[in-house]
Amino acid sequence: MEKAILARSGLAATVACVAMAFGTVPALAAPFKCPRVGGDFVFGQEANVNSLDQPASNTISTRNVAMNIFETLITRDENNNPIPDLADSYTESPDRLTYTFKLRNGVKFHNGKPMTSADVVASFDRYARLGLERGMFKNVDKWEAPDASTFIIRMKEAQPTFIELLSSFSVPVVIVPAEQKDDAPMQLKTIGTGPWQLVDFVPGSHVKLKRYDGYTPNTHFEERTGFGGYKQACFDTVTFRIVTEPGARVAGLKTGELQGVEDLPTKALDDLKKDKNIAIVPLLNWWIQVAAPNTSVAPTDNVLFRKAVQAALDMDEIMDAATDGNYRLNVGFQYPNQPSYTDAGKEFYNIKDPAKAKQLLAQSGYKGEPVVLLTNKDYASMYNAALVMAEQLKAVGIKAELKVVDWPTSVNMQLKPDTGWNFFFTGYGTQPALGALATMQFFTPPNANYKPKDGKDDPDLMAAWNDMNSKPDAKDRQAAFARMQALIYERVYALPFGSLTKVQGVRANVQGFKPFRIPRMSNVWFSN
Amino acid sequence: MAGVILRRLAGAVPVLLIVSLITFGMMRLIPGDPSSVIGGLSATPAQLAQIRADLGLDEPFFLQMLKWYTALAHGDLGRSILLGQDVVGATLQRLPVTLALSAYALVITVVFGLCSGVFAALRQNTVIDQLAMMFAMLGISVPNFFLGLLMIILFAVRLGWLPTGGYIAFTDDPVGWLRTSTMPAISLALLQVGLLARITRSTMLEVLRQDYIRTARAKGLPRRVVVMKHALANALIPITTVVGIIVSLLISGSVVTETLFSIPGMGQLLTQAVLNRDYPMVQGGLLLTTAFLVMINIAVDACYALLDPRVRYESP
Repeated sequence: MEKAILARSGLAATVACVAMAFGTVPALAAPFKCPRVGGDFVFGQEANVNSLDQPASNTISTRNVAMNIFETLITRDENNNPIPDLADSYTESPDRLTYTFKLRNGVKFHNGKPMTSADVVASFDRYARLGLERGMFKNVDKWEAPDASTFIIRMKEAQPTFIELLSSFSVPVVIVPAEQKDDAPMQLKTIGTGPWQLVDFVPGSHVKLKRYDGYTPNTHFEERTGFGGYKQACFDTVTFRIVTEPGARVAGLKTGELQGVEDLPTKALDDLKKDKNIAIVPLLNWWIQVAAPNTSVAPTDNVLFRKAVQAALDMDEIMDAATDGNYRLNVGFQYPNQPSYTDAGKEFYNIKDPAKAKQLLAQSGYKGEPVVLLTNKDYASMYNAALVMAEQLKAVGIKAELKVVDWPTSVNMQLKPDTGWNFFFTGYGTQPALGALATMQFFTPPNANYKPKDGKDDPDLMAAWNDMNSKPDAKDRQAAFARMQALIYERVYALPFGSLTKVQGVRANVQGFKPFRIPRMSNVWFSN
Repeated sequence: MAGVILRRLAGAVPVLLIVSLITFGMMRLIPGDPSSVIGGLSATPAQLAQIRADLGLDEPFFLQMLKWYTALAHGDLGRSILLGQDVVGATLQRLPVTLALSAYALVITVVFGLCSGVFAALRQNTVIDQLAMMFAMLGISVPNFFLGLLMIILFAVRLGWLPTGGYIAFTDDPVGWLRTSTMPAISLALLQVGLLARITRSTMLEVLRQDYIRTARAKGLPRRVVVMKHALANALIPITTVVGIIVSLLISGSVVTETLFSIPGMGQLLTQAVLNRDYPMVQGGLLLTTAFLVMINIAVDACYALLDPRVRYESP
């Protein structure tokens, strides 16, 4: 018997699922209705939007806007579980070789054309050609559209994690009209099925969206959840204005020119909190601050040396400096509110024991070689974290040096182990939010983050990774993740410092704006 | 004069070629490439490699160069990797914004710089002179970024007279353009006002000491005629040179102002392109901007000829 998946939200979900088993579907509670309609919501965005071609870009700034315009077959709910979005339902065959998606009726693109399975096929074809995460299709044999409302994916071999990958919002497979199939990378015409449609896009200045009156909400839900659910556009228009200067974002929020902003500087928070016209909206667990060691070169090729470094670090000090106090200490690569969270390896986290570090350092045979911390100033948190870590290493006798370059340069340098660095400073943002599988990719070939010597990946780590991907039982996959995380700590393949909080702010009359991985403009309204 | 302009235009060709070669080489010498920007913060090494291959960045340097120059020979400056727009289109979209802002800043510069310089020279060693030069020094010393922020706090947050940022095109709404461009233009102009005031003052002082000025005064000419017709007219040649340089500085130096006030101009476009390693955009955008600046220099040379008959007569 095929496993059918049809999502409901909250209590209604449980009731609906139970009722379905008995062949009846109860009436859901009344769906969300905008308490007030109208207005232009101007949101101050910190980074430039280069393109709205979602499959061809993995930047947060693109996702911020594009995920209000486009939709996907399946997506993630508020708790990061896969849910149908443009799919009415989907089934997985018992042998996990066939996924059948039934499409929702009445969905139309912003150009008025009804969405059919031919559009889904074309969107998948384009993604397979240029989508940044097209690697997820490596086990896919083919896809087909037997009728206008059915889309089938046939696998070459079973991949228990396929739905998790397909529902990822990192670089999602958005559904666009079939006519856009051949659009070149970064040149996708911005026509989606979402509640918002594009009006105007001036790179470097703004992106303006307007409510799509032909939008068909997903009636399986009553409320917005994650990137899916029952979505309604309450504003007439939404303007994403590019305001890269933090001071200008603060000024815009204070004057009311901007009704919402992201990434408020910590120094301005005390002042903003006193303003009754402004509500601060912290987005916890924005990313995990990480330093990745280069295990191909001395002295970081020596596990004892890496353990000495691990023992020397005081994560509170590092995160405090990195974030101006907006952080939480966090063991590992998932957050405590996530189902896959594990504290495996916690005994190696935040040790802050200089005496032990010195002892390990002596055992490692460290001879005072320079240890280069590769960081950048584009992301102030990475620079500040490196600065404090360098001082902590010096305190135990390690000759730590900073190498400060810009972000693209540091990314390019860390790809090769022979470019003169020992620790690379980065952040894991979207991947931890997507789950354990997405995050652990950083430790897998080709070119794992810890730069395995001669390209030989740690076999124990790879065994755990294979189990994470192939074990049919979810509990076994979770156990494999815990094993992998513990190994990373034990062998010091990464130094996760803690999680950052991203502080957003809105005017007090903005209702329904809840922090999420992107600013969601649906089900948000002005109270006056 | 036509001969001068034609010679200058011919001379511009090797300049543009050298600029394009240097830009191409420099961009490839800087470590990093667009894959890290397209891939975002969370890109895995495998994704980065895939993006590089998709963009052809794994091809040999000289092959990439050959492809770019071949396209250039056909008038194709390429397509921005990150914007997806063709380079000429992106440049033409942004250039008018920067030009409008620079023109506004130039008007402020010339009006305030020239007037304060002339008044300071005419009232040398008086309070007026000292005040004018104090403000000139202030303009030169205060970073325009800092001044911009102060103006935002005062005129936008405290007084609410002007918007904190954004840009409205003059053709869409002239009043809106004035509101969105005034603070950026002042911020951009202040350094140049100081510069021009000091140059004007020193040039005017030099001219005012000349024999022909003394003769003009001795003839009993009104002071206004002496200053405007004899002194200022002769001081305009070096001032014009400085104004030419100022125009270049305003256009090329607008990046900080554009960033602070969220104005989608050329400065922001090219800076972002460099930071993002958007090779075609940097190469094509700089080539077009250089061509534009060369044209301005030729126009300044033409102005010399108009202002100074000797230049006209000396020209073959």
